[in-house]
Amino acid sequence: MNRAPLWLAILAALSPCSQAATDNLDELNLEDLVKTDITSVSRKSQSLADVPAAAFVISAEDIRRSGAQSLPDVLRMAPGIEVAQIDNGRYAVTARGFNGRFANKLQVLIDGRSIYHPLFAGVMWELDPIPLDDIERIEIIRGAGGVMWGANAVNGLINIISKHSRTQGGAAVNVTAGSKGTGDVYARIGQSSSDSTTWKLSVQGRHIEPSKLDDQSGKSTDRLNNAVLDLRLDHDIGGGRDLSIWANATRSRINDNWNANPTFSPSGALSLSAISPLQELHNESLVGRYRWLSDSGIESSLQASFTRSGIEISNFITESRNTTDVDYQGRYAIGRHDILWGLNYRSSSDEIETNEPYIAMAGRSYTQSNTGIFIHDDWTLIPEHLKFGAGVRADQTSANGTNYSTNATLLWTPSRTDSAWLKYSQAPRTSARAERDVSIIAGVAVVPSGFGFNMPVFTYANGNPHFGPEKAQGVEIGYRKQFSSYVSADLSAYRYRYTHLRTGNMVGQFACNAAFGPLYDPARCSYFGLAGLPVMFIDTLTSNGLAGWSDGVELSAEWMVAPNWRLQLSYAWNRLSMDGSSNPGIDADAEITERATPRHYGSLRSQWNITTSQQFDLWLRSTSGFDRQKLVDLVPNASRSITYDHVPGYVTLDLRYAYRVNKDLEFALIGRNLLNSQHIEYISDFIPTAATSISPTWMLNTRWTF
Amino acid sequence: MPSSFGEVTTEVQLKAAYLVNFLKYVEFPGNRTSVTLCLFGRDSVGPYLARYEGRQIAGRELHIRKVSSPEQLADCQELFIPDTEESRVPAVLRWVGKQAILTVSDSETFIRDGGVISLVRAEGRLQFEVSPEALGRANLKASSQMLRLARQSSGGAR
Repeated sequence: MNRAPLWLAILAALSPCSQAATDNLDELNLEDLVKTDITSVSRKSQSLADVPAAAFVISAEDIRRSGAQSLPDVLRMAPGIEVAQIDNGRYAVTARGFNGRFANKLQVLIDGRSIYHPLFAGVMWELDPIPLDDIERIEIIRGAGGVMWGANAVNGLINIISKHSRTQGGAAVNVTAGSKGTGDVYARIGQSSSDSTTWKLSVQGRHIEPSKLDDQSGKSTDRLNNAVLDLRLDHDIGGGRDLSIWANATRSRINDNWNANPTFSPSGALSLSAISPLQELHNESLVGRYRWLSDSGIESSLQASFTRSGIEISNFITESRNTTDVDYQGRYAIGRHDILWGLNYRSSSDEIETNEPYIAMAGRSYTQSNTGIFIHDDWTLIPEHLKFGAGVRADQTSANGTNYSTNATLLWTPSRTDSAWLKYSQAPRTSARAERDVSIIAGVAVVPSGFGFNMPVFTYANGNPHFGPEKAQGVEIGYRKQFSSYVSADLSAYRYRYTHLRTGNMVGQFACNAAFGPLYDPARCSYFGLAGLPVMFIDTLTSNGLAGWSDGVELSAEWMVAPNWRLQLSYAWNRLSMDGSSNPGIDADAEITERATPRHYGSLRSQWNITTSQQFDLWLRSTSGFDRQKLVDLVPNASRSITYDHVPGYVTLDLRYAYRVNKDLEFALIGRNLLNSQHIEYISDFIPTAATSISPTWMLNTRWTF
Repeated sequence: MPSSFGEVTTEVQLKAAYLVNFLKYVEFPGNRTSVTLCLFGRDSVGPYLARYEGRQIAGRELHIRKVSSPEQLADCQELFIPDTEESRVPAVLRWVGKQAILTVSDSETFIRDGGVISLVRAEGRLQFEVSPEALGRANLKASSQMLRLARQSSGGAR
């Protein structure tokens, strides 16, 4: 594609007088204002000047103009949020390091309902929790937010706020079809049955054909079939009271590709072949929220939700779960204080069946409960200029006892266009069911046995019923400045200390052949079906043994080059420095954790309204590379040192050109991942999975409202 | 002139211009030499209003302040509540009570909630609606020119 004419056109659009002209707004009177056309790029909701935390808002317009079809792809625009696509449906998403397939330090809420899964700890991103078209905005707060958002908001919070049904009247159909068998259909109807009662119902189906394996050996098995149905009903009672009800059902069906099927040659040499288990997820939620205003001016919100969910991975695990959550929040502003408080009760009961020996689960069912209480005050010390905030929360959990979260903030606004903030916070991550109760073969390496043959050594990771909460505390500092009506920037830096992080302690070993003498354990070997074979096992026990520091800097900046052209830059730098240990297992884990963290993330978005009916958007994004420990390494390695795969850094580009035929019909051509014929973003960190490559996709999108 | 430079303007700049302009068309009780525009909560217009601070608007000196609690409203003549704080509108209007404060918001339900002026996006323009009932409750008088330029209110006050 020859881009020169395009760039010339963009430069031409940069007429110098357009900026000067808007300064004359002061001279305008009301008569002129009502006649002024807005053809500008919206900046709706980008209003964070007085939040004493590293925060970022993604608006509905940002989502639409990104061209992204899945939620994690949208999150890439926020500085400090690290997103790596694993396959067509799976993603690893974290804030500020410690990324993983089940990254466990990021809390995600949809209209106040948590989608953080208590079995594995983390979010199952392959399940579309809500259609992207139904999202009003996404607020992202990096850093510990345990006081307000509860345990597990350790590195950050993603708060997804759906559109009010009032704004979704009528009907809409949104169809996307593209290369690689990509298809996405969204349909919505909504109605205002009276002035105060409105509802909407939306459905979305998403399909992607299997992607290519990175090793060029053919196609993967990650054919994605997702469906989501979302109903919202709002009733405005008046007098500051309103009632909202959400009903949501979502399903995801995608195979995985594991190099985990062992075969032994007659000589005992191990080889692994791929198996392709089918993974089916479902989730049904019913949520009700009532908000009211008392005569004394206390604002209250009571929300209750019931969720039924399940995970089924064929021949591996079947889980079904019922979760009840009741949450009250109150707010009262008096004098110079703005006080928030809340009470939360959550109970989650599961029933789990596993296929041993691949995976074993202690206890077929378990009910995990959590009761939390918090209070937070924002205290204006000097009106206009200085605010102090402090909060504390206690969570009583069935598995982890009582945990505390605290925070303290200082917000200084020397002028209308500058603000600086300082924050201390502390938050726990409570242990997940799998960390306490699951035992699983975690990896295999091959060592020369000394008897003339190579011997596989399996690592068997045992869950620990006494595994406790992980802890984090740290300080952050930030500065925001609006340089002019056209340029603003937001800079933050942090240093966090993590302790009690999950790791594995080596607790024993056994061999499966009588030649090993006292190490021979025939009972356990026959459990694994390996009795008599020349293999060894190392037992590890999940423990709270890892600690370290995380440092980073994040920048986001915005430049309205012209009123119809907006540029947004974001950049994040993060470094983990884990403590060494005299325990070789923990010392190795420290190195594995450090090396698995990409140092740099960058993104530059351009939104250009060519005319009132044409938009051209461009998104350049990049990350540096990282190293992933090989879970499976069949190359004999006498020193038993850890071996790594390298995931290279990448730069890629997304484009979108949209043409609005009239106010009800729009066509868009979307290209994603355009700069490389293929790249990988991730190699599995939990089960040896064949890496899939990400290649350019072109899509045509039609939006029709009627 | 307006037609030439009015072609491209950002929404937030327009909101800021509206907030300042309303002060020219509304009569506040007493003989004032200054007028205070208060911004509630997480608003995005603040930085765009910075340059209006201290200016003479209809012969009165303009001050701009951020407010977050009821007691701070005492010397506000105009109060802007952004749509990001929509859920708090009823509470904030309760704080305002019958004080002579011109309340303005870009929240869609603002007039229905009892606010005075609602900024609405319509046909690619930013326009405004006025609730005469709420204006009366606040004991404020708006010029006939302003009422003529206002869009017909879609929902009545409750």
